[in-house]
Amino acid sequence: MSSDPVLVLDDLSIALATISGEVPVVEHLSFSVAQGSTIALVGESGCGKSMTALAIMNLLPQGFRCSGGRILFEGEDLVAATPSRRRALRGNRMSMIFQEPMTALNPVFTVGEQIAEALRAHQNLGRRAAAARALDMLRAVQIPAAENRIKAYPHQLSGGMRQRVMIAIALACRPKLLIADEPTTALDVTVQAQVFDLLARLQEEMSTAIILITHDLGAVADIADDVAVLYAGRCIEQGATRVVMEQPLHPYTAGLMVCVPHLQPGVMAARHRLLAEIPGMVPPLGQRPTICAFSDRCTRVGNDCLSEPQPPLFTLAPTQAVACLHPLQRETTA
Amino acid sequence: MLGFVRRLVNAVALLLAVVVLNFTLIQAAPGDPAMVIAGEMGGASQEVLADIRARYGLDRSKGEQLVTYVTKVAHGDFGYSFYFNRPVAALILQRLPATLLLVLTSLFAAVLVGAWLGILCARNPDGALSQIVSVFAIAGYAAPVFWTGLMLLVLFASVWPVLPVGGMSDLASPKSGLALVTDIARHLVLPAATLAIVYVAQYSRLTRTSMIEVLGADYVRTARAKGLPELVVVYKHALRNALIPLVTVVGLQFGQVLAGAVLVETVFAWPGLGRLVFDSILRRDYPTLLGVLFFSALVVLAANLVTDLVYRLIDPRIRTAGSGVS
Amino acid sequence: MTMIPMPAHPEMLGPANPPHAPGPSPPLPSPASPAAEIATRLLRRPTGLAGVLIITGFLLAAFAGPHLYPGDPFDVAGLPFSPPGEDLVLGTDYLGRDILAGLLHGARATLTVGAIAALITLVIGVAIGALAGYFGGALGTALMKITEFFQVLPTLLFAMVLVSLFGQTLTVVTLSIGIVSWPPVARLTRAEFLRIRGLDFVKAARAAGAGAPYLILRVILPNAAPPIIVAATLAVGTAILFEGGLSFLGLGDPNVMSWGLMIGQNRAYALDAWWTVALPGAAIFIAVLGVSLLGDAFNDAINPRLRRRT
Repeated sequence: MSSDPVLVLDDLSIALATISGEVPVVEHLSFSVAQGSTIALVGESGCGKSMTALAIMNLLPQGFRCSGGRILFEGEDLVAATPSRRRALRGNRMSMIFQEPMTALNPVFTVGEQIAEALRAHQNLGRRAAAARALDMLRAVQIPAAENRIKAYPHQLSGGMRQRVMIAIALACRPKLLIADEPTTALDVTVQAQVFDLLARLQEEMSTAIILITHDLGAVADIADDVAVLYAGRCIEQGATRVVMEQPLHPYTAGLMVCVPHLQPGVMAARHRLLAEIPGMVPPLGQRPTICAFSDRCTRVGNDCLSEPQPPLFTLAPTQAVACLHPLQRETTA
Repeated sequence: MLGFVRRLVNAVALLLAVVVLNFTLIQAAPGDPAMVIAGEMGGASQEVLADIRARYGLDRSKGEQLVTYVTKVAHGDFGYSFYFNRPVAALILQRLPATLLLVLTSLFAAVLVGAWLGILCARNPDGALSQIVSVFAIAGYAAPVFWTGLMLLVLFASVWPVLPVGGMSDLASPKSGLALVTDIARHLVLPAATLAIVYVAQYSRLTRTSMIEVLGADYVRTARAKGLPELVVVYKHALRNALIPLVTVVGLQFGQVLAGAVLVETVFAWPGLGRLVFDSILRRDYPTLLGVLFFSALVVLAANLVTDLVYRLIDPRIRTAGSGVS
Repeated sequence: MTMIPMPAHPEMLGPANPPHAPGPSPPLPSPASPAAEIATRLLRRPTGLAGVLIITGFLLAAFAGPHLYPGDPFDVAGLPFSPPGEDLVLGTDYLGRDILAGLLHGARATLTVGAIAALITLVIGVAIGALAGYFGGALGTALMKITEFFQVLPTLLFAMVLVSLFGQTLTVVTLSIGIVSWPPVARLTRAEFLRIRGLDFVKAARAAGAGAPYLILRVILPNAAPPIIVAATLAVGTAILFEGGLSFLGLGDPNVMSWGLMIGQNRAYALDAWWTVALPGAAIFIAVLGVSLLGDAFNDAINPRLRRRT
């Protein structure tokens, strides 16, 4: 069991080609994921989390490209690798599950076939062996009556079950890295918990590293070991989940924490009656300033914030890094 | 299965309606129904007319006449063609195979070539091929099929005489066995190509649109995320879904293709129903015309049923509808 | 689910929820009427412009042509089979008739039949589709059965039978084409009505007390219009091809010169005098092309989201 990180993003930048030139989508993003651990990428819609995931998998849509940096997967730089090398890794050593289970499965093939296909493509299994392994995977994701369900078509299953099938497909080849892009956003609340439990259990069994992309801070607190907060394509805080969520250093992160509605009226009612929000809007794509992107909404903004370029992440504590010129003070523990 | 049986019953009902329509047309046309049934050719004599009146019960009430007519049709009696001097049913059945050969070959070719072109365009939507196919699609629809046929005929008869331009086989030196098959095939090329051109244009455009939409679907993204080769993604995962609208259109259009066949057969002297219709029109041979109308409706209904079957084969959602489980 | 840790810095939000102005946004361009906007978008596309030009050209030829270039197309104007350019601009056919005169007069017949037949198709199709889509139920099913019946009969054959039974006049030809072509329009209209009927603004109008005729004609139909208009342009093209086919087979009005008639009558001589069939056919081709391009461009103009360019 190596202690080297499975994935290292080193100063990764992604850009989009538009009529008026290239526009940055993700800028100088760096983080690493250790084997068997989970890192959450959080941020508002449009902050670049999904693009990062697609870049790692080499599934960027047309017009997008990696404009700088490296993606080191088990030491190998993927940005420099050939497309066929990346395809060999995809679904095999690294895989991804998506947000919409209702449409993510092909309606004309059985779920068993769709799992077995991944196995046949990467592990050279014969038809029968692949089918047997597919059945094992269905059981592993806890689908009841798996022997019958393996011949079912996607439209005959519920959303929660389809997402389990997606997980089965993703983990069939026992990848080292699993990227989950908002896996439970489209599911009922009760099913959400089950899916996260399943992911945690499978992670333990297979020592898979997980990148969880979400804006559900509850889930982050639940299963993520580390968290990276993105704003307007830039990482503004990063570190161990517990630390970042209890003692955020960046004003945006702190604002996010407060925005989460709390269901204990007795405790909070005295101070906040209305739902909290951070006034202002994220700068749209193509209109990001070189200065701190959050400066127009920040209550702690200083003159240096408006004149100097956005600072890079620097480590303020052993498990916490922030990209801010006026970070919040850490409450020293007695 | 029940769905299919229902459609079968529906088809029979429609066929019955066609028979009623034929009857109505005979009655509604100006002039004596007996004359209509006799066909205006040959100046039917008084005895013939009297005979017709007796056999079809034309002096009875309309209701009784309808029953008589329907009963006759049910027994395969579609009337008699005084021009061709044969029972209409036999006449039509003799010519039907040639038309079916032409139509099915054209459709088959059009689907193969059209779908393939459409796939190529979908993989490169803004490329040169895409533009060419778009233009070709509009041009293929706008050009009247009989004009395209004539132009091809002129081209291959005078400018580049490598293919025969008329008939189904070489009547001057009849062949048999494999040589006959080859001979018919050579004669089939031009008429089938003419008819196919119209539909290649349309099908390639349709497949292109359908494929582009399917290639953007979530399940295709999943297939790519599995690391499958691009060809597998396109031809295994995407194509089957993209073909569904194409099957629909091909099935719905069968009537139109028959109509096109009539025109093409006229141009190339292909001995099918089209020629029969053309000659019958000239001679006002109404029994034959109405018989052809009935038989073409029959063929269209059969084509619809086949399309439905193909649908059920391709799309499991239709096959297993109603057996959902949570 | 784990409790989110209590926020350490609630003051980060500043004063509790001050009303904030979102900041100045760029001024919106003043909207023109939808029809004018669509028309501009249409003309800006090369296909739309080409379509409009072609159709205008043909309309001019049809109505001004015979005045500027008089001469009965049925008259013998020269020696038979004289090629274009020799004697007359476009040559003569097998009887020595002037082809250019034939084209110009034929334009009038073809375009008139095309337009009126398409109109008949539209009226019948929209009426049936609207009633079936709005009322549904037994009426809808019955109307759809009728539509299905008409779709089973191959259109050309049915029209041929009608014309040969009821006489070869321009009226019968036009009516026949109109009567056999309406099913696709009915299906489309019905589908649109079904879709729009369930939208909120229709429910609101009904709740305000609007009756069926008002809802159908003034509320739903205008919203269903765009795809129906596209179908209408297609119907004109189909009708022109249809008329060409009927005349080619000898089922058109023998007293009216039309392009299909020219092709049909000169068919036997195509090998020797290619221009007698090539030119009228080209006329049909370009006319239908113009109409199709227009319909296509219109389709794109009303559906700008189809033109995704990433």
